Amino acid sequence: MIWFATLAILAGVLVSLSRQINGRLALSTSAMESSFWNHVVGLAFITIVALLVGGLFAGDPAASPWWAYLGGPVGMIFIAAGSWLIARIGAAQTALLIIAGQMIFGGLLDIFIGAPGYLWARTLGVGLILAGMWVAQGSKT
Amino acid sequence: MGMTQSPQTRQFIYFAAAFGAGGLLSLMVLFNGTLATYGSLFFASWVPHLTGTVAALLFLLVLRPTRAQSARPPLWANLGGEAGAIKVKLTSAAMNSALALSGTIALGLAGQMVFSLFADMRGLFGLPQRTPVPRDYLALTLIIAGSLILIFFGSGS
Repeated sequence: MIWFATLAILAGVLVSLSRQINGRLALSTSAMESSFWNHVVGLAFITIVALLVGGLFAGDPAASPWWAYLGGPVGMIFIAAGSWLIARIGAAQTALLIIAGQMIFGGLLDIFIGAPGYLWARTLGVGLILAGMWVAQGSKT
Repeated sequence: MGMTQSPQTRQFIYFAAAFGAGGLLSLMVLFNGTLATYGSLFFASWVPHLTGTVAALLFLLVLRPTRAQSARPPLWANLGGEAGAIKVKLTSAAMNSALALSGTIALGLAGQMVFSLFADMRGLFGLPQRTPVPRDYLALTLIIAGSLILIFFGSGS
């Protein structure tokens, strides 16, 4: 259990670490070039591991809906935005506001696709996040 | 971005961009997660990296953004994608344990925030150094509290 908790925490650290490294690259190049390298290095890495482990095309990937394939271009913009922002508002505020956006839009998506969840929790959660963003807005960056 | 905007306007643009990026992330999670229900976990990570590479390449070729510096960045700066790719494996391992999806996401947020604060304080990787003020910690507490409520009770995953 401790082992899996460590993995989960480490995954979060890696999100921040990769945004910092991409941000550093964007400082010398551009946010989009940084996003390109992020994707091409990640692609090479996943390809090698998938070839070693096998099972890349397992299951029935052809059956997935067409829109599920749109994650790449969306991710390209997402990584570019993170690389651009981190040098301007810092790692913590970038992470915090991205989390706020993910939670609120994710909550809307959940309601849209009819996922179960308590209304009180959604209201309270969104309220606290908006309050936190309001507080953050007043801080110097 | 021009240099004529007031600091308030600029900050609003940064906030809106980061908040919007979070919205994109929730879409990405939905898209890639859907791919993973049909294909393998490798496939659900491999495809977006492939199409993301092509999309970024097209963007660079068509718009040719100017480089900020002519000096070559350090080689390690090109390795951000590898850290991101390893994260996918760690997340999937933790998700299938007793932690479940909610616990994995919550601990991931904790790791991300603590390391981000540490990086800001130290100015890691040549990024600007900044020291958080009490106001930043209050904002952090409110947003993380709201996120945890959504994750555990509002299916915000």
